Amino acid sequence: MSDLYNDRKRIVITGLGVVCSAGRTIDQFWSSLAGGRTQSEHAAATTPSSIAMTPGVADFSGTIEDFPGVPDTKRQAIRKGLKLMNRETRLGVAAGQQALADAGTMGQFDPQRFGVCFGADNVSVMPEDFQRGITACSSTAGEFDFARWGTEGLEQIAPLWILKCLPNMPACHLAIINDLQGPTNTITQRDVSANIAIAEACRGIRSGELDAALVGATGTTLHAFSLMHAQLEDEVAGNVLCRPFDKRRTGSAPGEGAAAIVLENAQSALRRGAPIYGEVVAWGASSCVGSANRTGKSEIGRTSADGRDTTRSRSCRKAMASALRQTIRRAGWSPANVGHIHAHGLGTWQSDIAEAQAIGEVFGESGPIVPIVAAKSYLGNSAAGAGMLELVSSVLSLKYGHLFPVLNYEVPDPACAIRPVVDCDEPAGTSFLNLNAFGRGVASCVAISTWAA
Amino acid sequence: MNRRVVITGMGCATPLGNSINELADGLYSGHIGIGRLSLFDAEQFPVRIAAEIRGWDTSLIGRSPRWRDAPRQTQFAIHAGLCAAEQAGIADAVPDAERMGVYLGCGEPFADFTTFTRSIGSSTTPKGDTDECDATESFAQIAARMFDPDIEREYEPDMPAIHLAELIGVQGPVANCISACVSSTQAIGESMRMIQQDEADLMLCGGAHSIIHPFGLTGFLKLSALSQRNDDPQSAVRPFDADRDGFVMGEGAGLFILEELEHALRRGAEIFGEMTGYGSSQDAFRVTDSHPDGRGTEAAIRRALASARLNSDDIGYINAHGTGTIMNDKVETLAIKRAFGQQAYRIPVSSTKSMLGHATTACGAIELAVCLISLRDGVIPPTMNWETADGDCDLDYVPRNPRELSCRHMLTQNIGFGGQNAALVVSRYDEHRSGFSASSTQRAA
Repeated sequence: MSDLYNDRKRIVITGLGVVCSAGRTIDQFWSSLAGGRTQSEHAAATTPSSIAMTPGVADFSGTIEDFPGVPDTKRQAIRKGLKLMNRETRLGVAAGQQALADAGTMGQFDPQRFGVCFGADNVSVMPEDFQRGITACSSTAGEFDFARWGTEGLEQIAPLWILKCLPNMPACHLAIINDLQGPTNTITQRDVSANIAIAEACRGIRSGELDAALVGATGTTLHAFSLMHAQLEDEVAGNVLCRPFDKRRTGSAPGEGAAAIVLENAQSALRRGAPIYGEVVAWGASSCVGSANRTGKSEIGRTSADGRDTTRSRSCRKAMASALRQTIRRAGWSPANVGHIHAHGLGTWQSDIAEAQAIGEVFGESGPIVPIVAAKSYLGNSAAGAGMLELVSSVLSLKYGHLFPVLNYEVPDPACAIRPVVDCDEPAGTSFLNLNAFGRGVASCVAISTWAA
Repeated sequence: MNRRVVITGMGCATPLGNSINELADGLYSGHIGIGRLSLFDAEQFPVRIAAEIRGWDTSLIGRSPRWRDAPRQTQFAIHAGLCAAEQAGIADAVPDAERMGVYLGCGEPFADFTTFTRSIGSSTTPKGDTDECDATESFAQIAARMFDPDIEREYEPDMPAIHLAELIGVQGPVANCISACVSSTQAIGESMRMIQQDEADLMLCGGAHSIIHPFGLTGFLKLSALSQRNDDPQSAVRPFDADRDGFVMGEGAGLFILEELEHALRRGAEIFGEMTGYGSSQDAFRVTDSHPDGRGTEAAIRRALASARLNSDDIGYINAHGTGTIMNDKVETLAIKRAFGQQAYRIPVSSTKSMLGHATTACGAIELAVCLISLRDGVIPPTMNWETADGDCDLDYVPRNPRELSCRHMLTQNIGFGGQNAALVVSRYDEHRSGFSASSTQRAA
């Protein structure tokens, strides 16, 4: 490998933050996971928007009190920004502030050399932002008159409405609040966004342009539109438990949440004596998006006799296998010494089989042995946010030395010949792979290990 | 030492034409692609003009009904992406599929406005005098019934990237980023960096967007960012002119094949230019406004020059963001002066948004295509409608007429909501570029 991989350019994780249904601090989050608390216990929570069947983040109303770890000097900036933040942005900002506080970055870095990279979903238009305008343009019979929108409707729309809808807002608010003047970017590649955001931040650090970066992801499948899109892409379980790799699984569960980490050049972390959670060793991303010809005719969507979309499943398996293989190769690891895998673990019939097959294909003899965890069994699927929540949970496993069970996993599925973790006694090992995929055949993976100088 | 990155394919969809040559002709003839908004009935809106791609021909992307319902931006992206791949000679067979990626900066597709308003009208009631409304739960159910699932699944910003990966047979990384008006600029810059750092040999990159939609018009009207010259669309966008009053919504796509130099040489691919510099930055000031000193834009320019290992006097032309709003043009001019010092007065700066309108997330990619055309032809495009000097904008804006100018290096920069800035340096390909070599020893390093 090139000089990009020498010690000078090693990249470590020095801060963590989470806001999700299993906890609004790192400690709460870990105790939920390590306690193996059931999904329904988390489900006491309120639901922010549309669907009552799965938990949102409890008691997160998005007021300034929901941003713990924020220094007093920043509280005013956050309070000012709140009216421009939709829920996903607030969740992302809250997670980001935690990670920065955890890493103790304040005043430690050149602002020009501190970047932000987030993963986020397309922000759907919120019905409540348009409701008044639509009422204003509707007849008493409730018929909407578009001709009146350009005058009466517009009057009812908040002046800065569109700024709430931009997916880059979590990253931008965090940069503004914390004076981070390096590059800011936002990956909108759905479930694989978080790992790609990490790769991009690492590229900035390895190129020497950055000393540190705040990397996060935020997302939801609870919003009406997000849920509709999730339903179109996956089998959504409905009002039942998410059971990754269990034979009785019926689909993914909607969810919401955000997580963030601080990445920095290892030298910088050592110099300032920051505690190191782990090292980002390598990453890989790949795609295998069905196959189409020039007329735009795709195999995706074609189903086999039993109603399963086999092309999709095959695409996803190939993409996941390729991302795993690339990442292991770039990390210089062999499958036998991977501590554990944080699976995408969506809980749908096909995605779980495709994932188990990909792991089997790449890991060979180690395939049935390597421990598998899947935080979606606790959290549901927060789309872009999920990948980072999963990564943070595995980083915590490295810290505490043990894994947490795949919740609701009781009946093994012979079609998933892998080893989901069933209790908290399982050692975490010293390394893991964080794998994510999106159903159309796109995958991303990151390799993390404990720090060893 | 970084690997070198060259451009071996390009394609576009713009209000001036849907091929690179049509775009070039439009730029040189000073054609302005702005007229009455026709994509929906905007007669009752305060702004009724747009830079539309007129008479868009879906047969450009194949005759399958599959694309008929895709958002316009997806159609533009597919057309431009396939053109780029064809020009690079990889459309039928990607040399090493796992070593090729796709990275686009396509914007947010907007849901169908009529269906949206009907779903809301049927499901919600105002809650007293607050901004809240009840019963979004039933909105979800009603919306799920009213929206057509097969159409709706296309309304995600990453769909153009996914379709193109599938159509071309890419098996490497696929990503889409959204960073407001610098999205495609960053997608191109990051793609360049991925090739430099040996994560890929080939990247399809760029962006596409169309904001000419009731949601887009609503949003930008509320921000007071749009020109109100409804009676004279051709003169509406007046970048750096004293009488400027805002931008005009546009649409389009620009997509490129970036390729590692040796890879391109080995295949005997035609080289249209070299990507030499990329810089991006954050104002860290406000989500709504640029920092009044233009500090983020200045930083992006400086970083782009540093990564290209060029000095300010190496740059022969700047394609500005130049939206034509009071604030943008003032701050951007200041940033150019801060980054280039006295050299700023020597470098011609033009805004092709005066002809193309503002394609938001796609503008940077289209403007890179403009630069590549200029490098090729030795002619830089004008800023149309520049007539009256403004004390805050005192650079050479190449007013009204294209200018013959042979350049070795050009800079194109963009500025976006949220304090986002990005700049690219594109250079004429020179095999003996100083400080860089095409020798294979680099790869072994």
